Amino acid sequence: MAERFARRVRAVPPGMCPLAFELALLQVAAAQTCGKCVPCRDGLPQLVTLLEHVVACEADETDVACMRALAEMVRDTSDCAIGYEAATALLDGLETFADEHASHVTEGCCQEGVGQTVPCETLCPAHVDVPGYIACVAAGDYAGAVNVVRKDNPFPTACAFVCEHPCEARCRRTLIDAPVNIRGIKRYAVDQAPADTVAPPPRNMDTARTVAIIGGGPSGLTCAYFLALMGHRVTVFEAREQLGGMLRYGIPAYRFPRERLDEDVRGIMEAGTITVRCGVEIDARELRDIADTFHAVYVAVGAQAGKALRIPGVEAAGVMSAVELLGAIGDGAYPDFTGKRVVVVGGGNVAMDCARTAVRAGADEVSVAYRRRREDMTALPAEVESAVAEGVELITLEAPVRIEVDEEGHCAALVTQPQMIGAVRGGRPAPVAADKPERRIPADAVLIAVGQDVGAGPFEEFGMKTTWGRFDADQHLRAEGFEHVFVGGDCQTGPSTVIRAIAAGKVAARNIDEYLGYHHKLAYEVEVPEAQPNDRTPKGRVELGDRPARERRRDFKDVEVGMSREEVEQECGRCLRCDHFGCGVLEGGREQYA
Amino acid sequence: MLGSGAMTNSIEDVTRHADVIMLVGSNPEEAHPVIGMQLRAAVERGCRLIVVDPRDIGLAAQADIHLKLRPGTNVAFANGMVNYLIQNELYDEGFVRERTEGFEILAATVRDCTPSWVEDVCGIDRRDLVQAAKMYAAADAAAIVYCLGVTEHSTGTDGVMALSNIAMITGNLGKPGGGVNPLRGQNNVQGACDMGAGPDDLPGYQKVADPETLRRFEKAWGAELPRERGLKATECFPAMQEGRIKGLFLFGEDPVRTDPDTGHVIRALEALEFLVVDDLFLTETAKYADVVLPGRSYAEKEGTFTNTERRVQRVRKAVDGPAGARLDTELFTEVMNRMGYAQPQLSAVEVMEEIAAVTPSYGGVSHARLDGAEVAGRGLQWPCPTESHPGTPILHMGEFALGLGAFSTPEYQPSAELPDAEYPLMLTTGRILYQYNARAMTGRTEGLDEIANRSFIEINAHDAEALGVADGDRVRVSSRRGSIESTARVSDKTNPGETWMPFHFQDGNSNWLTNPALDRVSKAPEYKVCAVRVEKAEG
Amino acid sequence: MPNIMINGAALEAAEGATILEAARAEGIRIPTLCHFAGREAVASCRVCVVEVEGLDQPVSACATCVREGMVVTTDTPRVVAYRKMALELILADHGLDSTSYCFSCVKNGACELQDLCREYGVTGSPFEVTHKREPVRDSNPFLTYDPNLCIRCQRCVGACNEAARNHTLVAAKRGVRTTIEAPFGEDWRATTCESCGNCAQACPTGALTEKRRTAYRSWETERVRTTCPHCGVGCQLDLVVKNGRIVDAEAADGPSNNGLLCVKGRSASFDFVDAPDRLTTPLVRNAATGELEPAGWDEALDVVARRFTELRDEYGGESLAAFACSRATNEDIYLFQKMARTALQTNNVDCCARV
Repeated sequence: MAERFARRVRAVPPGMCPLAFELALLQVAAAQTCGKCVPCRDGLPQLVTLLEHVVACEADETDVACMRALAEMVRDTSDCAIGYEAATALLDGLETFADEHASHVTEGCCQEGVGQTVPCETLCPAHVDVPGYIACVAAGDYAGAVNVVRKDNPFPTACAFVCEHPCEARCRRTLIDAPVNIRGIKRYAVDQAPADTVAPPPRNMDTARTVAIIGGGPSGLTCAYFLALMGHRVTVFEAREQLGGMLRYGIPAYRFPRERLDEDVRGIMEAGTITVRCGVEIDARELRDIADTFHAVYVAVGAQAGKALRIPGVEAAGVMSAVELLGAIGDGAYPDFTGKRVVVVGGGNVAMDCARTAVRAGADEVSVAYRRRREDMTALPAEVESAVAEGVELITLEAPVRIEVDEEGHCAALVTQPQMIGAVRGGRPAPVAADKPERRIPADAVLIAVGQDVGAGPFEEFGMKTTWGRFDADQHLRAEGFEHVFVGGDCQTGPSTVIRAIAAGKVAARNIDEYLGYHHKLAYEVEVPEAQPNDRTPKGRVELGDRPARERRRDFKDVEVGMSREEVEQECGRCLRCDHFGCGVLEGGREQYA
Repeated sequence: MLGSGAMTNSIEDVTRHADVIMLVGSNPEEAHPVIGMQLRAAVERGCRLIVVDPRDIGLAAQADIHLKLRPGTNVAFANGMVNYLIQNELYDEGFVRERTEGFEILAATVRDCTPSWVEDVCGIDRRDLVQAAKMYAAADAAAIVYCLGVTEHSTGTDGVMALSNIAMITGNLGKPGGGVNPLRGQNNVQGACDMGAGPDDLPGYQKVADPETLRRFEKAWGAELPRERGLKATECFPAMQEGRIKGLFLFGEDPVRTDPDTGHVIRALEALEFLVVDDLFLTETAKYADVVLPGRSYAEKEGTFTNTERRVQRVRKAVDGPAGARLDTELFTEVMNRMGYAQPQLSAVEVMEEIAAVTPSYGGVSHARLDGAEVAGRGLQWPCPTESHPGTPILHMGEFALGLGAFSTPEYQPSAELPDAEYPLMLTTGRILYQYNARAMTGRTEGLDEIANRSFIEINAHDAEALGVADGDRVRVSSRRGSIESTARVSDKTNPGETWMPFHFQDGNSNWLTNPALDRVSKAPEYKVCAVRVEKAEG
Repeated sequence: MPNIMINGAALEAAEGATILEAARAEGIRIPTLCHFAGREAVASCRVCVVEVEGLDQPVSACATCVREGMVVTTDTPRVVAYRKMALELILADHGLDSTSYCFSCVKNGACELQDLCREYGVTGSPFEVTHKREPVRDSNPFLTYDPNLCIRCQRCVGACNEAARNHTLVAAKRGVRTTIEAPFGEDWRATTCESCGNCAQACPTGALTEKRRTAYRSWETERVRTTCPHCGVGCQLDLVVKNGRIVDAEAADGPSNNGLLCVKGRSASFDFVDAPDRLTTPLVRNAATGELEPAGWDEALDVVARRFTELRDEYGGESLAAFACSRATNEDIYLFQKMARTALQTNNVDCCARV
C-alpha cells in the first residue's frame, strides 16, 4: 500500500490545482495521527475542513486567517512531526501558492493556467509529443518517430543518448508499475532510422530575412533549424572548429558518439538555408556589425568557461578545468594519463565525465573528491554508478583546501578538509568543516569540475545586460534593451540540460519569427497511429544496459546498449497514451506549440 | 522473634525498593486491593515476585515463581528454604553473627528439611524451591509479605517464625525494601492490638503479666486491675459453653458469621447468661443478645485508625448519623460509671491524649499533630514516642526491638484436620475483592451485590469430574461440623484435592464447616485447612 | 538541583522535575487537562504549553524536564492564544450538544474542561463541532462511559494501567478515531475490570463517571477527609456529603494509597451509614416474651451495668469477656478495653484480630 501510495504521489499530474494537492497531503497527515495530541488529532481534521472550504472556493478572508492561526498553533504545539510537519507544509503552501489561495478566495476559482495536461509532453521543456513517437515506434514507423520528435526538437539523436528525460518524471504509467523508458524508445527509433536519413518536413518559402545565431550548440542549432524551416536565412557563428557545442565539447564520446551527433547536425542542415561559420570568435565590434547587418540575432553561446577553484596551488602544472579537458577531446586531442593518479573535484555530471574520461585515458587511479555525500551529487545516479563500476573512487565529504605543488611546479596532491553533513539550506544539506585532520590525496593531475560560467565579456561590451554572469532577457527571450537581439540556453539560464537549451532555441525561433512579422506554421506530415486500449497488467520497466565496465573503460566507444525490438515493443505497450485517454483529448489538454 | 505483629517496613518502601518480594499466603489483589495495585506496579518496574500460595491467585500469573504448596505446609516450606540457604552458604554471615542468636540450634532443627523432603510434604517441585531460595538470597533487598494464609493455621505462629528466620539469616531486616510484613486484615486490627484489645497486652503491648506495668496502669487509671491471665476470644467460646464465662460484651463483632464452626459459636452464645452487643445493625450475633446498643459508624465520629504499616491516621466525622444511636465511647463511659468506675466523658481528642500518656509507642500521637501541617496528612507510624518524633517507617534499623534477634525453631506439624475417606477434600477459606467479611458494610451497597452476592466453592477440575460436578452446579459441602449448599466453580485454581470458599456469604457460609482448632500461641483458628466432602446437591 | 526562572521568579527545582512539577512546587499554576500525576507524561492536551527562552516553539510543561538556567514564561500572548485554541479544538471534539448538555452533565461544576473554558473565555468553538451519538456504556453497576464527551486525554488509561495497573481500560489507537475502550458495556462481567473507579476520578470531563454523581452537584457538597473503613491498607479518602448524607467517596492522596482506591473504598464505604436498617434505639430482651424490644438508653445501660456487676461480683471478673471491633477507632477500642479491665475487671479482652 505504501509503495502504491508513493507511486501515486510520484505521478502527481502536472497542472493540478496545488491547493487540491495540499488538501490531499493534509488529509494524509490527518490520517496518520496516532490520536494522542489535540493539535494533530483534532487540529489537522479541522485544518482539512478549513482547506476544503478554500478549495471549494467557499472560504473568505476570515476563514483563511483562522486556518493560518490554527496551522501556526498546530506547528508550534504538536508533539511529533506527523503534526507539525503537516502544519508547516500548509503554512509553506500559503506562501508558495499565495496567488492561488487569493484566487480561490477572491475570484472563486483556480488561477488561470491551472488544469491538467499530458504529463510527459508537459514536462518535456520542448514539449515533444512523446505518446506520438512512442506510437510510431510501436508501429515500426521509425522515420515517423524521428519527425514527431523533430516537430519540437531537431536533436532526436542527442536526446536519445543524453537527455535527462524529465518526461519520465511523472509518467502516468508510474501509477501501475514504473515510468515508461521514453529515452530508450527514442534511442531505438534513431538507431533504426538515423536522423540524417530522415528527411525533415518541407520548408516554407524563402522570406529573405536574415538571422544571425551566435553559438552552434544545441540551442543555437535548434533555433537555426526552426528558423530555416520557416524560410528565414540563418547564419551560425561558432567559435570552435565544429558544431555541436557542449554535445561535442562537453559530453564525452563514450556517452554520445560523435558520428551520432553528426547525424543530428546533418539533419538540421537539411532544414533550409543555414550558413555555418566555424572558428569565428566574435568580439564586441563584430557583434555590432552583425546586429546592424542581420534582421535578428540569437545569442546562444552557452556556458563554456570552467569555474575556477579559489585555492592555493591551482596554477600548478597538471591542474586543469573540466571544460579545457573535454573541449580538447571534442577536437580529437585525447589526453594521456597513463600511470597517473587523477583527482577530479566536483560532484556533477561533468565531474563524472572527467573521471570516466581519465579512466579511458589510461590513469592508474581516478578519484572524485566531493564536499557533500554521494546522494547529494548532482550527477545522475546512473552516471555515478557507471563511474564507480569503471573503477573511479568516490571520496566524499572532503572539501579542497589547497593543491600541493612539487619543486618543478607540478601538482603533487590535493589536500582536503573533511566535512560533516549539516543542516539543509536551500533544499540541500550543507556540509560544514568536520573536526578531523586534513587529508592528502596524492595527484599527478587535478581536474576541476565545479561548474561553468558564461563567457559574457564581449557581449556586455556590446551592451547586453547580465545578472550573476547570465544574460538578462524578457519572457520572449528578448535581450534587455534590444529589439532584435534574443538570447537563450545556458548563457541565459546558467548551465543546464540539453533539452532546456533546445527548448529555448525553439522558443527563440518562434519569437524571432513573430518579431520579423510572421506567424509561420510548420508542416507536420506524420500520422500518429490510433491509440489501443491500455494494457493494465503491471510489468517491469525495460532498462538500457551498459557494456561490461572492464571492457568499456578501455575505449571511448558508446557504453550503452539499446533495446531489442522485443523489448521496445513491450516498453511501447506500457505507454498509456495520455494524449488519447484522460485529459489529453480535452480542449487545452495538451502542452504543445502549434 | 521480632516482637509484635506488624509490618516492619512501609507499603511504599516494600513496593518501591524491594528487589524480590516473596508473597506468602496473601492475595492482596482481593484482600488488600490498593496494595495489590502497588505490588503489580512493583512487578512491572522489575521487582521479582515469588508467590507461595496453594491457589492460582491473580498475582501468581505475574510471579517469577509460584510455589503452589499444599495448605498447611508453610512451616515445611520455610524450614526447607532456611536449610537450603544454610547448607549452600547463601545466608548473611555477618548479620547472623552480629545481630542474632541461636543460629546453630536453628541449623540443627532444619537440617532434615531437604528440598526433596519439602517436595514430599508441600507437593512442590524441589527445583522451584531451590530457585526461589536462590532468588531471594541473591536480592539486595528482599521483602516477605504475608497474610492470613500464614497465620490462620493451627501452626500459624510457627509459620510466622519460620518466615522470619528466612529474613533474618539473609539480613533482610531493618533495611529499606526488606522485612517481614504481615498485611493486617481489617482497617484497624493493628490499632485494636495496639490499644490493648488482647488478654495479655495493655496498650502498646505492655504486658499484663509484668507487675510493674500493671502498677503503672493502676496508677494512671486509678483502679485495681485484674491479674488473672485472660483468654483469647477463640478460647472464650469453649469457656462459654463450659459455663466459665457467663457475660460477654461484644463491640461490633459478628462471630456467628465470622468465627469457625458456627454451630459451636451459637451454642456458646446461647450458653451465656448475659450478652451485650454494640453494633450498627441487628447482626446474626445480635439476635442472641440480651441488650443491643446502637453505636456510631466511622463516618459519625472523630478518631484514628492504625493501618497495617503501623500508620496512625485520622477518622473524621462526616455526618451526624441516625438519631438514637450514641457514640461508642460515650456508652462505654456510661457503663463504667454505672459499674462504679468514675470515668469522665472524654472527647476523641482527649482519649488520644490519654492513650499517648500511657502508651510509649503512641507517646507523640495527637489529633492536633495528625491534623497539622507537619504531618501533612501522612499520619504517624509508631513507634512515635514523643511530640517531636517523626515516626518510624522501618522497624529494627540497627537493632531489634528485643535486642539480639533470636531465631525460633519451629518444626513442621500437619494441620489439625486432614482429609480422609469420609471427608476427602481440603477446604481453605478467604476473601474476595467485592465483599468484606460478614458484609455488614459492603452488603448494603447494591452494586457490589450485582457483581458478587452468592456463596461459591472452587473445586479442581479433576475432582469435579470424579464427583460428577460441573461448573455452576449446586453442591452440598459438609464437614464434621456442619453442612451447607453452595455453587461449584470448577477450575484449576486449586490443586487436586483442595477446595476454596469465600466466607462472606450467608447463603452458604463456610464457617459452618471450618475447624475451630487454634494456634497454640496466637489462638487463631485454622480457617485455612479443614476436611470436607462435596456432593452434587439434590434437586 | 537546577536553578530556573518561571515568570521572572527565580527558583530551585527538583532534579529531574518537569516544568509543570517545578511550577506546582512553587505554587505557580499551569493549566492542564491530560496530566496524571505518577505516570509518564502523555502530553496530549497541549493546554500546558509554555515558552522557554531559546526555543522557537512552546513546549509542554508536563513533558519537558527543567535544565539549569532555564527561563520559562507561562503566560505570553502566544501561549495563551495557543492554549485557548487547544481548548477550542477540545471543545469541538467534546461537542456541546451530544448525549449530555453542560447543564445536564453530572460533572457540571466539577468539569475541568468547563472550568478552563470559563477561565480562558472559550464559550464555543470556531471550528466544526462534532455531533456524536455514540452509545453510552453503562452496564457496570458503578461506572459509566459516555464516548461522546470523551476528549481522549488518556488520563483514565493512565489510571487503569499505570496507577491501578489493572490493564483493562485501554485506548484503541485509531488515529483520528481514537477512542477509549472502557469495559463498562454489556459484557462488563467478562472483563478483568475491578470497578475500582480510579479511571472515573481521573476523568477531567463527564465522559467517564461514577454513577453516584447523579445524586449530587459538586457545589452542593462538602468533603471530609477520612480513612477507609475496610481493610488494613489505610487508604485516605474524602467522603462527599450533601445535606448531611454521604453521597460519594473520592480517593485522596494518602501515604499508603497514593490517590488510589478499590471498589469497596470508593463505592461501598458509606451506603451502610444511612442504611434503613441501622439501629436507632437500644433493644432489651423481654424476659417474658423472649423478644428484643426497644428500650430507652438509661434503661438499657442500667441493665448492662447491673447484669455485668452482678456477674462480676458473683463469679469474678474472669467470668466476663469483652471483644472489641477491629473496625472501630483506636479511641473506641482503648476506652473499651479500659472498661473491660477497670469496670468488668477482666483480662478476657480481645478483638477480631484472628478472624
